[in-house]
Amino acid sequence: MSSHQIEVRIDSDPANLAAVRKAVESFAANTGALDEPCCGNVGLCLNEILANVIRHAYNNRTDKPIHVRAEVADDLLTVEIRDWGNGIDPTTVPQAPYDPLTPGGVGLICIRELMDEVTYHPQSDGMLTRMTKRRPKSQ
Amino acid sequence: MEELKTNTPTVPTARRSGDAILLSLKGEIDLHNSPAVRTLFLDLLKTYNPKRFVLNLTDVPYMDSSAIAVLVEALQKLRKTGGKIYLTNLQPRVRGLLEIARLDSIFVLVKDEDEALQEPK
Repeated sequence: MSSHQIEVRIDSDPANLAAVRKAVESFAANTGALDEPCCGNVGLCLNEILANVIRHAYNNRTDKPIHVRAEVADDLLTVEIRDWGNGIDPTTVPQAPYDPLTPGGVGLICIRELMDEVTYHPQSDGMLTRMTKRRPKSQ
Repeated sequence: MEELKTNTPTVPTARRSGDAILLSLKGEIDLHNSPAVRTLFLDLLKTYNPKRFVLNLTDVPYMDSSAIAVLVEALQKLRKTGGKIYLTNLQPRVRGLLEIARLDSIFVLVKDEDEALQEPK
């Protein structure tokens, strides 16, 4: 079993989103765990989770900590996002049915459709979000 | 063709031609810069009340859901007066996101800006 990992620590400033996304995309690509489109999808979903943390968990504060850790073990990529925000599990917040003609909801669709699994683990002082993507068998 | 000011590097050029506003967007668009794009779009819609809002996305390799929300909000406003959003030159990741969000059919995808301007009103 082989294992590689990367950790990135940022403030909750949207200006940091692109750098973290690209770091994790590059990490996933360099390990050979996933093909290029899958790495891009992981980056997009990470972007969406981080944006939700900034907007909702931190109420748009730009100076709060976020830690991102990505690990590849064999064919499985795991990305963990730790925040020290309000600790609310987004899956427990009522959502209106998705309507393409109304702004909003696209991030959650991406996360649901592009990742194998996303789980939320409330902490005493925030939230740990874990998402996983396994190499498709056809790769 | 009238050149318009934009005040955001994400939209380096904006022009007006008849009932159309033509915009070229540039760079990756996410929560960092999508608010500035939203402000510009809403200003242009309010000022000029266009029927065609034509976005050239040649130089946009990536956008996230916050950028999509800006497009949908603009479309909502345009539809109230019978207007449409035309998208040209979608890059693969942007096209993929629109497909996942089932939005590729609510915008008008065209080959280039000329095709958007030639579409029947």
